[in-house]
Amino acid sequence: MIGEPGPDADPQASTTAPLGDDERWVLSYYRTSEINGSLFFGRLARTLRPSPIQHDLTRHFADEALHAWYWTDCLDRLGTRPVKLSDAYQDQYLEAAGLPVNLMEIMAITLVFERRVINQYAKHLALLGVRPEVRDTIDRIMADERCHVAWVKEALEGMHDKFGAATVAETLQRYRQADREVYARTLAEHEDRLRFLHPPPDDEKGSRT
Amino acid sequence: MTIPSADQVRLAMATALGVSEKRMPADADLAELVSDSYRLVEMAIELQDDFDVILSQADLNGVTTVGDLVEVIRTRSAQD
Repeated sequence: MIGEPGPDADPQASTTAPLGDDERWVLSYYRTSEINGSLFFGRLARTLRPSPIQHDLTRHFADEALHAWYWTDCLDRLGTRPVKLSDAYQDQYLEAAGLPVNLMEIMAITLVFERRVINQYAKHLALLGVRPEVRDTIDRIMADERCHVAWVKEALEGMHDKFGAATVAETLQRYRQADREVYARTLAEHEDRLRFLHPPPDDEKGSRT
Repeated sequence: MTIPSADQVRLAMATALGVSEKRMPADADLAELVSDSYRLVEMAIELQDDFDVILSQADLNGVTTVGDLVEVIRTRSAQD
């Protein structure tokens, strides 16, 4: 999940222009992140014993897989194919935050990550010249992501008795810190690829709700 | 709370990882037994279910061998 608009963006670029390498890369990066999320939740869904969390996590896994399909189809509709990427945002995430080893830690890192995803997709939608295919894809995904945040937040609140509210809060704080570091590092690392993004003028930003 | 024996924990770990218990001597390197880091998460979840304990990220700091993890589970069992 990446994408502060680059300072050298061309504001005249058309949404009907052929997909450039950088935009193709970013959409492929989204796709790879969705795939990795799906694989992670799928493995967890397979591991957990029957419970409400297993139920919701299995749905979460299915949604993420569907999101990967949405991006694959979006790229196809834009006349191209996904770039094969071996690394995803989540890999750096786990490296920075450490492996979660209990369900509370898994829910906490998931909540922080899902909020980052929503934030990133919202930033993308706020750009000038977002292609209709991309806007449609993000809109569909965002509806699911809001549901994900809601169920994960509720699951975490239900763990306060078992793990302690203070421990849950500390864990969330730790993962938020890691998230900020990874996001900043990812932006810096892929700066060159983000120049196709076009920030809207401030007054136009304010009119989008 | 009954504290599981080291053999019980090693058997549970072998089952979770889908490997023979013979590959699980106390000094075996965990990193060589798990194919990727997600597998370690899955095993940790299964062990917590099996022995009704809670592990945290901090518990696994410094854990490198099968024996290290066995001791963490047994210690947690005694506490929880």
